[in-house]
Amino acid sequence: MSDDRDINALAGEYVLGTLSAEERNFVATRMARDPQLTEAVLYWERRLAPLALQTPSVAPPPSVLKEIKTRIASHDHRAQSKNNVISLERSRRRWRLAAASMAALAASLAGFIVMREMTIATQPTTFVAVLQKDSMSPAFILSVNTKTRMLSVHPVDAKHEPGKSFELWLVHKSLQGPRSLGLLSDKSPLTTSMLLKYNKAVFMDATYAVSVEPEGGSTTGAPTGPVVFAGKLLPDAL
Amino acid sequence: MRHLGAMDLPISLQEGILRIRMSPREDLTNNLMRVAKRDPEAFDALYQATSAKLFGIVIRILHRRELAEEVLQDVYLKIWERAGDFNPAKGSPITWMAILARNRALDCVRRHAAMALDDVVNIDELHNCKSEGHMDVGFSDDLRRLMDCLNGLPQDKRDMVLLAYHQGYSREDLSRRYNSPVNTIKTWLHRSLAQLRDCLGS
Repeated sequence: MSDDRDINALAGEYVLGTLSAEERNFVATRMARDPQLTEAVLYWERRLAPLALQTPSVAPPPSVLKEIKTRIASHDHRAQSKNNVISLERSRRRWRLAAASMAALAASLAGFIVMREMTIATQPTTFVAVLQKDSMSPAFILSVNTKTRMLSVHPVDAKHEPGKSFELWLVHKSLQGPRSLGLLSDKSPLTTSMLLKYNKAVFMDATYAVSVEPEGGSTTGAPTGPVVFAGKLLPDAL
Repeated sequence: MRHLGAMDLPISLQEGILRIRMSPREDLTNNLMRVAKRDPEAFDALYQATSAKLFGIVIRILHRRELAEEVLQDVYLKIWERAGDFNPAKGSPITWMAILARNRALDCVRRHAAMALDDVVNIDELHNCKSEGHMDVGFSDDLRRLMDCLNGLPQDKRDMVLLAYHQGYSREDLSRRYNSPVNTIKTWLHRSLAQLRDCLGS
């Protein structure tokens, strides 16, 4: 997408609101790694905003504010009770960011993975993801067999500090927060049947993320350390 | 002997003086920053000052009261969570909030794509507008320029842009309304956007 006119049209339609749900998703995800697109969206948002501010006001019913306050209270309560090391607020934001930008990064590596996977094994039921920090440093290769639902993760180039562990998480909007899939060793592969617990639609669309945890893994059931690698599944027959 | 300055007054009075001096925009910015620090009073003030504007925006896009109320809740929850992300150097607070509200409403209306359009609230009945205190400085210039550029478009093309922007019309909705294929609508929208961009400049 190098053509200025295309970017202008896509960003303009995104801001106008005429795109479909899928296209909106695409733009929102792509913005994480496409500064030109982001700039074009910001341009239209700013230029058209005077129209939005022209919209006549409509007073919402008092029940709305009450409901918002209830939701804020339960939101803050949840954040506090789960908060150990870092604020859930910040970690949620970071997870969301990681999910969006890492998905984009994984997609950019598609060619690399296809080449690689074809030399390893070519099965139509195998999907792979590269868990990585950036496109130059893949840390783990993850593969899922959709028939058996077996998940395996091979370390490529990952080292954790002594006294720490890598933990693998399944991140999906339909789940209440990240779900642990187990600990990853930086030396030997992991094979697990943990995905049997989840719908295919969920684990196919999910982001797989790796966080740094105290040795033996998170004790809270949620990630407590930084997300260091992440990726999404791609069919190996792309 | 020195004269009493504002800083010698009790905090509550200092705030009162600040409040009087502040423009509505500064007032909103100040409240947003206090919301970022989890100040419930600032949140109430922010809600009182902006909720009718944001509700007006989302209900026109969503066409349904109960959906619009739900989205408005989501929007203010987001504002509570993300107030710290607002950067006063990059725009006014009401613009930031309006963009957030529009995005949320559009995401919602597209997910409910099969929404029956005859089940809509009567837009004309909604025009119970109150005068607004928080127009941006320089806002009317921006609006005038935008309107000049919009008026440079053929009338039906301009109406399409406005229907999309204000009322959440998708390409498909526009295609039905203008009795033209979706691809034609897309081409027209792209042409209008290119013309607008030329007119508005960077």
